Amino acid sequence: MRLIVLLLALMPLAALADTRQIVDTQILPGVTQLAERAETLHKTARQNCTPSMPLKDAYSTAFDAWVTISHLRFGPTETDDRAFALAFWPDSRGATPKALSKLISQSDPIAQTAQGYRDVSIAARGFYALEFLLYDPAFTDAGKPEYRCQLIQTMTADIALTTRAIAQDWHGSYATKLIDPSADGPYRTDQEVTQELFKALSTGLQFTSETRLGRPLGTFDKPRPLRAEARRSDRSLRHVELSLSALQSLALALASDAPELQGTLDQRFTKALEVAGRIQDPSFAGVADPASRLRVEALQSAVEAIRLTVGLDLASHLGVSAGFNALDGD
Amino acid sequence: MKTAPLLLTPLALALATPAFAVEKADVLDNYANIAAAKYADSLTTAQRLQTAVDALIADPSAEALQAAKAAWLAARVPYQQTEVYRFGNAIVDDWEGKVNAWPLDEGLIDYVDGTYGGPSDENEFAVLNVVANPSFSLSGSDVDAAQITPALLEETLHEADGIEANVATGYHAIEFLLWGQDLNGHDAGAGNRPWTDYASGDACTGGNCDRRAEYLKAATDLLVSDLDWMAAQWVEGGTARATLTENEDAGISAILTGMGSLSYGEQAGERMRLGLMLNDPEEEHDCFSDNTHNSHYYDGLGIQNVYLGEYVRIDGTLVSGASLSGMVAAADPALDAEMRSKLSDTMMALGRIKTAAEAGFAYDQMLEQGNAGGEALIMGGVNGLIDQTRSIERVVATLGADAIEFEGSDSLDNPDAVFE
Repeated sequence: MRLIVLLLALMPLAALADTRQIVDTQILPGVTQLAERAETLHKTARQNCTPSMPLKDAYSTAFDAWVTISHLRFGPTETDDRAFALAFWPDSRGATPKALSKLISQSDPIAQTAQGYRDVSIAARGFYALEFLLYDPAFTDAGKPEYRCQLIQTMTADIALTTRAIAQDWHGSYATKLIDPSADGPYRTDQEVTQELFKALSTGLQFTSETRLGRPLGTFDKPRPLRAEARRSDRSLRHVELSLSALQSLALALASDAPELQGTLDQRFTKALEVAGRIQDPSFAGVADPASRLRVEALQSAVEAIRLTVGLDLASHLGVSAGFNALDGD
Repeated sequence: MKTAPLLLTPLALALATPAFAVEKADVLDNYANIAAAKYADSLTTAQRLQTAVDALIADPSAEALQAAKAAWLAARVPYQQTEVYRFGNAIVDDWEGKVNAWPLDEGLIDYVDGTYGGPSDENEFAVLNVVANPSFSLSGSDVDAAQITPALLEETLHEADGIEANVATGYHAIEFLLWGQDLNGHDAGAGNRPWTDYASGDACTGGNCDRRAEYLKAATDLLVSDLDWMAAQWVEGGTARATLTENEDAGISAILTGMGSLSYGEQAGERMRLGLMLNDPEEEHDCFSDNTHNSHYYDGLGIQNVYLGEYVRIDGTLVSGASLSGMVAAADPALDAEMRSKLSDTMMALGRIKTAAEAGFAYDQMLEQGNAGGEALIMGGVNGLIDQTRSIERVVATLGADAIEFEGSDSLDNPDAVFE
């Protein structure tokens, strides 16, 4: 349970984020890169839909781009459930394999067009569903080959459409709404914008610590390696590193007018990335083994140390509280 | 819509608070009074359920099963309104999983349809079926379940193997035992467990009717004792009340944390939007009884009545007093008007779901892929809840600013002072 902290909210001389710099150097390039790489992924799938190197490479590159902006869960990513349609995970009830099996066993014609596919359950859309079709032996041979091929091509087309819509909205008007808040916009003041960016940072850190690391770690007596994110494609550790790098840039930008705090944050992120770099276990399969488990636990502690600095020092510097996020439920 | 709250607010304030501000202590006191009333009402209605369950077991019949179902539905009305006390009050969070855990792998408890599937990657006890098995092995140790007792459910079965979906106790376990699985998919209709699942001798269907009755009895008794405990925490001198009022700012913070977390992450996200995006009728909160529309509605009402500081009890009496609304109005009347109007909009949207469901458009149907009307109804509720969360955040900012001005906190104005 996390109490929102009233006392820290809105200090009289609170610092404001340099929104324009964050938008221009992080957000806009990030969403553009994602849309471009998703387009390449779709083109690659159209040329050759077999789950082998060219397609897997394109998948990996595009997925990287998503993870890099996956903490920006507001505005354009939330319209029409776009972020959910790109990234439905964690999937604690196995909805993704269930939904895919159903489509494949019935050769459901809804997979004929990307437009039609938008009505399919989010569990069967996006990067995590595609991973099953490219990497899970139970799916790489399932059903009719032509249907599998069509499904992969339609799913990549759907991803391309979704990422393009996110990029278009950011470039079209949302960047301006963030940079120039107004009474009738989603943000009324610069303070609300700062709060949104801070929330993206703190929620991103929480997700990496509690979900990306916490889910496979489970408890010492009951580790849960099968719950690691994107373990089928050996991307679990990579996602932690990519998200930490992206969050590092955001944190440093938010602390740009407080050199000492910025230094501390930089140190903490660098430390966590070093700890991550020492792990030789891309899918966290070793969480059940005490020795390799220790390294993953150390990484989680390093991320927790960042969270502490962000939650106390950066929050008080910016005069914001963590606010509410999607992880607040149980 | 917008002028009414603006006009009402100063009036209400003038009556409630002759002084210049609403006292935090009074707001907390009223919040605790409402909690005490809500949990007492939940206890009373659970006791009525207990009476109905005892009658069903003593003399099984279609009428007796129907009476138990009606008692369960009535018991949900006050309980759902207490959910806003979660997230902000640790004592409620630590306890809540015993009474309202969801979703559940119901195959742990009793027989399920063949389409339900077997043990999964996530849960190897998804089809344990305690009703049919007087002994079994769980995480390496043998369990004697010859007698199904509250202790067995609470200590051994609940969250067995560390899996949250192994829900052995609480409202939803009881709901499953009364209604059975809802096998209607996206069509209208709830679970249809025959009353003969509780019949004796040859009339018994589903097997092990005596053990099923024993399970139902144990789960219902446990619910009553759990609610009894929680109701006692909120009366004068209770632990929950004492913790809440220990530090006034932390207490106000607890109220807002509950309102915001329930609105956004829990209800708008986990319970409503996710089910819609997955088009999964199993993602219904009260999936066996098809009571989800009410479950959502009373959750929303709980958020609203905590802000307004008014709760109508199950006997029709009103509990009211100093409110968060009054505090916000004193600091920023426009923000209070905004907050009230957002809460009303949400209740209107949740009310639409409820009325459509009661008129025959089941929540299952609303969740179906491509059902535009259902999607619009559910997203109306989701958007209302998300929108009101933004205003709750504004309230946090506004009251936080006040607290600092009032107290001139040393630790914030001069961080080094703390270490001197």
